[in-house]
Amino acid sequence: MKTSLRLTGLCLAGTIALTTGCFDDEFKIPNTNSPTQEQLTETPNRTILAQTATGIFSQVNTSVGGQIQQFGLYGRELYNLLGNDPRETGEEIRGPQDPGGRAGNLFGPYYQAIRTINTYLAAIPKAADLSAAEQAASRGFAKTLMAWHFYRIAIRSGPLGFPIDVDRPINAEPAPFVSETEGFAFVASLLSEAATDLQAGGGSFPFTMAPGYTGFDTPASFLRFNRALLAKVEVTRATLLGCGGPCFTSALTALGGSFITTSGLPGSLNDGVFYAYSSASGEPTNPVSENLTAARYWIHPSIEAMVQLRADGSDDLRWTAKARKVAEPRVLNELSSDIKPIMFNANTPTTSVANLDADIPLIKNEELILLRAEARLGSGDKQGAIDDINLIRVNAGGLPPTTLTAASADADIVTEIIYNRTLSLLFEQGSRWMDHRKYNRLNQLPLDRPGDVVHPFMLVPAGECDNRGLNTPCTPLGG
Amino acid sequence: MGRYRNFWRGLMMAGLVVWPSLAFAQGRTVTGTVTRSAGNQQPIAEAVVSLVGTLTTARTGVDGTFRIEVPAGEVRLMVRAIGFTRQEVTVGATQTTVAIALDEDVFKLDEVIVTGQATTVNRRNLSTAVSVVSGDEISKVASPTIENALQGKVAGINLQSNSGAPGGGIQLQIRGNTTILGASDPLYVIDGIIYSNARVLGGRASAVAGASVQEDDPANRVADINPADIASIEILKGAAASSIYGSKASNGVVVIKTIRGQGGRTRTNVSQRFGFFDLQRDLESRTFTAGEVEDAVGIWGEGARPFFANGTPQKFDLYDQVFGRNELSYETVADVSGGDDNTRFFVSGTWKRDEGIADNTGFSRQGLRVNIDQTVSPKLEVQVSSVFNRSLHQRGFTNNGNNGGTSGYALAYQPNFQSLLPVGGIFTGPALGTQGPGANPVQTNRLARNEAETYRFTGGATVNWNAYTSDKSSFRFTAAGGIDVFNQADDVFTPNELFFERIQALPGTAVEQSATSRQNNFNLNGVHTIRPSEWQATTAFGVQLEERQLKTTRITTTNLVPGQSNVNQGTNLAAAETFTKERTLAFYAQEELLFFDEKLLVTGGIRAERSSVNGDTEKFFVFPKGSASFRFTNVLPGLLGDGAEVKIRGAYGETGNQPLFNQKFTNLGTPQFGGANGFTVAGAAGSPGVEPERLKEFEAGFDANIFGNTAQLEATFYTRNTTNLLLNRTPAPSSGFTSEVFNGGKVRNRGVEIGLGVTPARGKFSWTTHGTFTLNRNKVLDLPVAPFRPPSSGFGGLGVTFVEEGQPVTQIQGRKFLPDGTRSGQVKIGDAADDFRVGLSNDISIGSFNFSMVWDWQQGGDVINLTQFLYDDAQNAADFGSAAHATRLLAFNAGVMTPYIEDATFLKMRELSVGVDLPQSFVASAFGRAVRTARVSLSGRNLILWTDYSGLDPEVANFGSQAIRNNLDIAPFPPSRSVFFNLALGF
Repeated sequence: MKTSLRLTGLCLAGTIALTTGCFDDEFKIPNTNSPTQEQLTETPNRTILAQTATGIFSQVNTSVGGQIQQFGLYGRELYNLLGNDPRETGEEIRGPQDPGGRAGNLFGPYYQAIRTINTYLAAIPKAADLSAAEQAASRGFAKTLMAWHFYRIAIRSGPLGFPIDVDRPINAEPAPFVSETEGFAFVASLLSEAATDLQAGGGSFPFTMAPGYTGFDTPASFLRFNRALLAKVEVTRATLLGCGGPCFTSALTALGGSFITTSGLPGSLNDGVFYAYSSASGEPTNPVSENLTAARYWIHPSIEAMVQLRADGSDDLRWTAKARKVAEPRVLNELSSDIKPIMFNANTPTTSVANLDADIPLIKNEELILLRAEARLGSGDKQGAIDDINLIRVNAGGLPPTTLTAASADADIVTEIIYNRTLSLLFEQGSRWMDHRKYNRLNQLPLDRPGDVVHPFMLVPAGECDNRGLNTPCTPLGG
Repeated sequence: MGRYRNFWRGLMMAGLVVWPSLAFAQGRTVTGTVTRSAGNQQPIAEAVVSLVGTLTTARTGVDGTFRIEVPAGEVRLMVRAIGFTRQEVTVGATQTTVAIALDEDVFKLDEVIVTGQATTVNRRNLSTAVSVVSGDEISKVASPTIENALQGKVAGINLQSNSGAPGGGIQLQIRGNTTILGASDPLYVIDGIIYSNARVLGGRASAVAGASVQEDDPANRVADINPADIASIEILKGAAASSIYGSKASNGVVVIKTIRGQGGRTRTNVSQRFGFFDLQRDLESRTFTAGEVEDAVGIWGEGARPFFANGTPQKFDLYDQVFGRNELSYETVADVSGGDDNTRFFVSGTWKRDEGIADNTGFSRQGLRVNIDQTVSPKLEVQVSSVFNRSLHQRGFTNNGNNGGTSGYALAYQPNFQSLLPVGGIFTGPALGTQGPGANPVQTNRLARNEAETYRFTGGATVNWNAYTSDKSSFRFTAAGGIDVFNQADDVFTPNELFFERIQALPGTAVEQSATSRQNNFNLNGVHTIRPSEWQATTAFGVQLEERQLKTTRITTTNLVPGQSNVNQGTNLAAAETFTKERTLAFYAQEELLFFDEKLLVTGGIRAERSSVNGDTEKFFVFPKGSASFRFTNVLPGLLGDGAEVKIRGAYGETGNQPLFNQKFTNLGTPQFGGANGFTVAGAAGSPGVEPERLKEFEAGFDANIFGNTAQLEATFYTRNTTNLLLNRTPAPSSGFTSEVFNGGKVRNRGVEIGLGVTPARGKFSWTTHGTFTLNRNKVLDLPVAPFRPPSSGFGGLGVTFVEEGQPVTQIQGRKFLPDGTRSGQVKIGDAADDFRVGLSNDISIGSFNFSMVWDWQQGGDVINLTQFLYDDAQNAADFGSAAHATRLLAFNAGVMTPYIEDATFLKMRELSVGVDLPQSFVASAFGRAVRTARVSLSGRNLILWTDYSGLDPEVANFGSQAIRNNLDIAPFPPSRSVFFNLALGF
């Protein structure tokens, strides 16, 4: 009996030793799959912030393909005839839009990038190994790109508005929506804050620039990119929101500080900042480039119909370089096209092969000249606008100068500007839809089938409605 | 530390209170034999003979004889043996020999059920509802996995296939959805070893673009178990029963015991099966007439016109072309068992091959099991179990896949006037190359590969040391430990020449994925039993350490060199690795009291756990349990027959569901850009203080065994609330986060389980019938956040699961038409959960002839039929132009989903078996004298399906790996039926 007891005691003692004290540390199993957020918020330093800058650059590429497709479908710039998703020939050009699906896209990912930038901005002052100038340069860089995210949110949301005060804890009330006007003003002011920071940013950034920013790799040169974005924002709100003169003036001022140039044409048309892609392992690849045999992307036939001719009767050079006819039209749900986009492909006169390394312009000199045309027209300088249009017609399209004169109607000049923007920016940003919105011309976009519609803006994502206790589709601003 | 040292000390004290008091009495010896009452009255080995009112026991030897010391005077002996109803006999004061014949235990009344890590109780006394399925019931009809073999046989569980792909892929859900985003699998314990049922995702979906990893359709690893090795399966359903596994048990526990050797003559059994699988149902597509040529051209382009050259085009059976394969399947199972009174062994081997109904699909399993029991000394016994398996799953290409890389998806867009079969080795372009995703599924299945090969070892040992035994008390230690390791290697290859690869910018994809899992557990228990007189107290306490880890690495390469599948032969490589590890330590103690001649059982217990996956890894979470039952014997003999027993029981228990490995971390994303890795704030936010979910359950019920042991009725009512749910809400997208983990909310499941067993006839003609009824209702009682769509819950407006207070977690939301013809916003349009389930099995024997059947009926539940949606999108629906089609089209164009929500009611004949035991004389002449028994049978599985569902099978789930089952039908692997011929020989 006593033996039993003693044995019991021994076993118990052994068990306790075995299973408790020895194991305390072994219950703290770290996450070996990924770095955790505390590294950035608690102990940031130069290296960690530089790494985060790379992350911020990479998130600028967010949803580029999505915007090209979505805006392109809305603006009848393209079709997606792959047939794998009924929404591409249904909901997106026929409606009704679904806030739980694609119509709620081009929203959350931008805010994820904004969350990274806000976390980065909060961490900058904690990095003792960054000088004051480097901190300013970092802020200027981050705010410029944050403004670009907000701009993209602004144009997809239109009159529904969007939240701007989003730097709050995850469990806080969702940030309130502000009106489109307030939102655009916020974007412009963010760019101005960034400009001030960049001006105080010294001679270099405390991180490696990402590909796509060649020529914009110092605070001073990055500022010219910042001004180009401001010009685009100002022209958009001048027209879309009816801000008019003051905004056009502001746009012209911004263009003056941007990288706009008329020397070195036509080569310098492609100066600018790009969404960079690479087929190297692990890198983001061009989201829209594909082989001629691929069934996904097709140029809307209505664009072919408006292509202008050169003096020798051949097509606008931009069309020849960006579009190619194939033998068999693709037909899907009564939609058809036989024109493949090849602007991002590796092309010869007889072949066209997908090129996943092709960069996509974020903003380029060609667009800046056309923005200046819009701003000049809006400021009453018609001849200046026509001069700018001709710079593009001649240098980009190989076309003769336009027959429009300073005596022509504004509307006709706008039509010509839209034509040139459509051809110059084809498959880059869905400009056709935005331009028709800006000038209140959505009703001029072609409808292919009875019942088709042009959506004027995208919807508030369902998740945003759910968290505000609103039924979808919701309009948090009311109305 | 101090915290639980005190706890431990208290526990010891509790144990010592009931320390043995010793008493020896002068006695005599009784000898006897135990035999079967039926048939040739064979002796029963390993029967336990105990002296009623004491702890004195004896075991029968291989010849069925026993010898037991008893006190002077008249005594009562209780005789128990596995598979037989226990019997009590009175031995007179002068009687020295006794012969006892035991009846077969058709209702499993005397099955021994686990109640703790080292304690068991007779099912007759059990105070919780535990279902038991015997090995015979599992292996009667050939089944790919053990879960198939449970379908229709157990009340309170819901077993549904995610698709018809070979080799498993089944969700076992016990008493409803208790979690929304936590782990949803029950815990599997085989011979004391915690057994992984992991689903390793990421293989197929990494190769076939257009589907998320969660839409992969992998097998769950319980598929590695050989059903023929199983002696019994106990399903611990309620929290009071399963709380012995603490925070891993809220989804229930499946306790599997494998066959162990019995002493005596060495026996050999060999069973050979041959059979085939056959497409059960297919989907028709639109039939074109000569006049519809322009329609076809409108859909598929000019390429369609030549097919109409002679008027009405030829029509091909496309499903038959893709899923029409009926190759020979086989299964060989052999086992040898035997031993003597000290050493007993069971060795079994299996070699199985199920051929799938599509090319290059199938399932193979080979395994070798060795179980050894060694009695080292009268006080020390060791049991060792080990099994090595290889499994090969070839599951083909099904489920969602936007680029047509999956068969059903591509078929939706394929006109049936164009054959998919190759002509002269050349495959025609899919869908004439002008519409649809662009893939030829016959080509995909023949040339592509989707294989998962698994090697697995599971082994463990239990050591029982009866440190002290007397007739009034005993003390034993049980130490048990085990390890379960497997490596699953996924090999997916979609070659360049496939139509859907050709059009890719980087054609050709190869995926190599390796998942290595290790789980080990160890426990040490002390069990002290006293039996002073007519009552008995069992005190058990112990400690348990468990670990599990899973590491998955994957290499995906694209742009392959033509003809090559090696991942080095592509230009674009992507690598991924995930590693999860968890360690849990638990202390526990429990007390079981039997009073009034074993009529009243009262049980109480407590378990305290700390785990590495909790936010606070030092905190102990405590899970209590308590239950009681009372047996009324010889109730209303006039009405219910002689010896009727009615037991009432009630139980309360708490269990948990551990956080997932990554739920406490908020990670940084590390996107690569420009050759460098960046940091971004990742979309998923963790919860630094995350805790286990807690399930609290009351259950009550009664079991009646009436009409002279010919009928049995079991009924259980339960209500279970899961609180502190692990939730993953979707914050407003403007927060910059896509999800956030938190604890909160409450989900309730209430239900009724009824089991009925009747044996209308016994003897030469015997008939046993079993029925089960399962009803469960789920409701979200409290949701502290805005209602949300869980991740992987559907496709936007195409019908999604929506978690909302006051609704079941399985509700389906979508849009419907309002009375004024406009359409609504997202509203409830269905519920995936069934109304009730009924299972019915019948066994009839006439002499040596045997016939059995199992039916499974599900009433209600809704399926989202997106396969139909695809056909409608393709203008290719079989009923094109009909009124039903017009109704759907109206909804399709308006984004309304109601016509695609269909009732999932079905009645399936799960099993049918007809067999005969060949007469001894014939056996001897046909197989030789060495053969003892021979049995031939013909069996079928899923032979009949009755349903109004228009798709392939209402049992389907595109996102089958998710906690909330969403019956989403999107191009699944079609169901198949199987027929096997079986020859079993006993040597």
